[in-house]
Amino acid sequence: MKRFRIVLLVLVAFALVAAACSSSSEETTTTAAEGAEATTTTAAPATTTTAGGGETTTTEAMASLEGTTVTVFGPESSDEEAGAMQDALDVFAAANGMTIVYTGARDFSDQINAQAAGGNPPDIAIFPQPGKLADFAREGYILPLPDDVTATVTANWPEAFVSFGNVDGVQYGVPNKADIKSLVWYDTNAFEENGYGIPQTLDELWALSDQMVANGQTPWCVGIESGPATGWPFTDWVEDMTLRLQGADYYDQWVAGEIKFSDPAMVDIWQTIIDLWNKPGYVYAAGGSIASTPFGDNGQPLVDGDCMMHRQASFYSAFLPEGTPTGPGGIDVFYFPAGPDGTKPVLGGGTLAAAFDDRPEVWAVMNYYASPEYSNERQIAQQARKGGQLSGYLSANKNMDLNVFLPLEQTMIDIMLNAEVLRFDGSDLMPAAVGAGTFWTEGTSAVNGDETVEEAVANIDASWPSS
Amino acid sequence: MATTDRHLATGPEPAALGSRVRGFLGAIPTWVLWFFVIIWTVPTLGLFINSFRTRDAQRNFGWWMFWQDGAHGYGGLTLQNYRDVLGSEATGGLANGLLNSAAIAIVATIIPIAIAAFAAYAFAWIDFKGRDWLFIATVALLAVPSQVALIPLLQMYAGGAHLTIPLIAKTVTVFPDLDLAGTIPAVWLTHTGFALPFAIFLLHNYMSGLPGDIFESARIDGADHFTIFWRLVVPLSIPVLAAFTIFQFLWTWNDYLIALTMIGGNREALPATVVVASLAGEFGLREHLLTAGAFVITVVPMAVFFSLQRFFVRGITAGSVKG
Repeated sequence: MKRFRIVLLVLVAFALVAAACSSSSEETTTTAAEGAEATTTTAAPATTTTAGGGETTTTEAMASLEGTTVTVFGPESSDEEAGAMQDALDVFAAANGMTIVYTGARDFSDQINAQAAGGNPPDIAIFPQPGKLADFAREGYILPLPDDVTATVTANWPEAFVSFGNVDGVQYGVPNKADIKSLVWYDTNAFEENGYGIPQTLDELWALSDQMVANGQTPWCVGIESGPATGWPFTDWVEDMTLRLQGADYYDQWVAGEIKFSDPAMVDIWQTIIDLWNKPGYVYAAGGSIASTPFGDNGQPLVDGDCMMHRQASFYSAFLPEGTPTGPGGIDVFYFPAGPDGTKPVLGGGTLAAAFDDRPEVWAVMNYYASPEYSNERQIAQQARKGGQLSGYLSANKNMDLNVFLPLEQTMIDIMLNAEVLRFDGSDLMPAAVGAGTFWTEGTSAVNGDETVEEAVANIDASWPSS
Repeated sequence: MATTDRHLATGPEPAALGSRVRGFLGAIPTWVLWFFVIIWTVPTLGLFINSFRTRDAQRNFGWWMFWQDGAHGYGGLTLQNYRDVLGSEATGGLANGLLNSAAIAIVATIIPIAIAAFAAYAFAWIDFKGRDWLFIATVALLAVPSQVALIPLLQMYAGGAHLTIPLIAKTVTVFPDLDLAGTIPAVWLTHTGFALPFAIFLLHNYMSGLPGDIFESARIDGADHFTIFWRLVVPLSIPVLAAFTIFQFLWTWNDYLIALTMIGGNREALPATVVVASLAGEFGLREHLLTAGAFVITVVPMAVFFSLQRFFVRGITAGSVKG
């Protein structure tokens, strides 16, 4: 029996340790549970918020934030991004005596499905794809914004960004971060030495490419490898070219599935890009081939002069080799030039916050996300974490303080805010089977030469979900 | 003498050649083993070397060129990656993650072993009605993949499981709403459930091979099942218990999917595997940190494996040969 008693003791000890270990996790979950219970009771305060409107309700809401907890879940997970997000939230939390906990997950897109389906969603999720947000809105997982939060959003964000969070006429999303994709990265010194100007039209861009080849230089760096998402830089090229050559209406119809990938104009665009990439001497791919070069590996060749231009989004700044000077006199960006009709469309991206739970403190945080203060705090925190370098964060908030951004970042914001036509990354709007599936894989096959463009687009059309 | 010497000297030569050939042929399995060991180890070695290189060096040159990093202007070998990984604060921080991993792995190892040992003894040495069918059903559960059950389990943890019986319209609570979603106990329960079939199977095979004569004499001396279990079966089953402990500990420590699904957005409770994965960031911006992160979380399972290693092989072959 002695041995039995020892074993029993050990088991009890473990149970105690277990209880102690789990206590920290229970803390947050109990608050979440309280929140879930509170949903039913907060119906009344929520109606007063919308009924009252204006500033008086905001102060009322502030008073009731004391001691509350809000959980936020999003795709940004590295120390700089997630840390800066938490810093910016902490500023608001500290001012209101509340707690806001941000958790970032690299597998956000899969993870949020599991959590929503499993009945364990966060209070607020930050969606990198409007298509996903729309799915969640139609499923009834996320809640429409109350009027006062919608008012903050429309007062601070350009119409295009507001519309990304709009599903069937109802506003669900609050823009959180903005990316601009219609950018060409280049080395200002190399351009100056060779006397190259900034091309203003697509024709000038192609002429510049030809001139660079004539001068013995390689004009483009291209790499489309990105792990399971390999191919997305190609889709960005296609989208940018479509906006320029066919216009925004065509683009919208194409994204909605009303115009097929096998449309002759679309096939032409694919062929133009692939021909450019396959022309001998036009592309430098650090990894040997375009499809095997990680998109992030093209920073060094650009700095070294192995290639002269790299078309990539604003967040590419974070992939430049450490200590690379940026802005005039270093690596800079110019706007991917306008098409034949002269309009200047901009391809953008970004993240949108949406709420799962109807509580005053949740809406207060959503309201903060829409405010210029959030953009400012986030940028200041992220820049500090980057040691004063380009932060990798961009916002299109109209009322934020531009002085907290570096000159190069201000150039990008300027392009976004002055865009005549701004469209979200089309592959993020299409059904996931295409936008995060065949568009990438078939595009990669076409770039590799494993398939002709006609075969690739036919396969994409076949994969578009019916209904 | 000279002739005999020569004779002696030349005589064994063919034999020596033969044994050398035989020795060479006999060593082939060893060569093959070495070949595979090297193939298997090289990527880990590359990962290890890369964990000391800067991001730009990793991005631009393979690990086998590491001694040229300085010449290429990327700085030499550095401990910065380890500093960044250990000092990370996003997703709750790695120190917190390691604590959570330990809290998950230790308990999720103890519970299934405790239950499976009792069950295996009952299946092996207690005669009860329907024993064989129950055992077959238990072993058949080995075939259930954990992935298909994750979302239903999460729903159960989040809101309990309630069955409404048709006709009488009465609702029975099968599993109470304990609000376990997002907590470490949810992970324990899940790991326990999926470990039990294998644990019972492994332990049963071993225990049924124990000599029945001892138990019989113990029973004659007045021992009941409980005494036999604690005083005879458990001490005799130490090798297989240790082997299963290693298996289960390594599996729960390295688990990513179950913990991620059950804990989700509660960063205070996320284990080290999830924390390390999230270090890379949204666009793989800081992928270079994964190298150092991988080594930090490998240290604990390595320690467990080497400290219990002598039980490992003995336990796996447990029950395979009945003696």
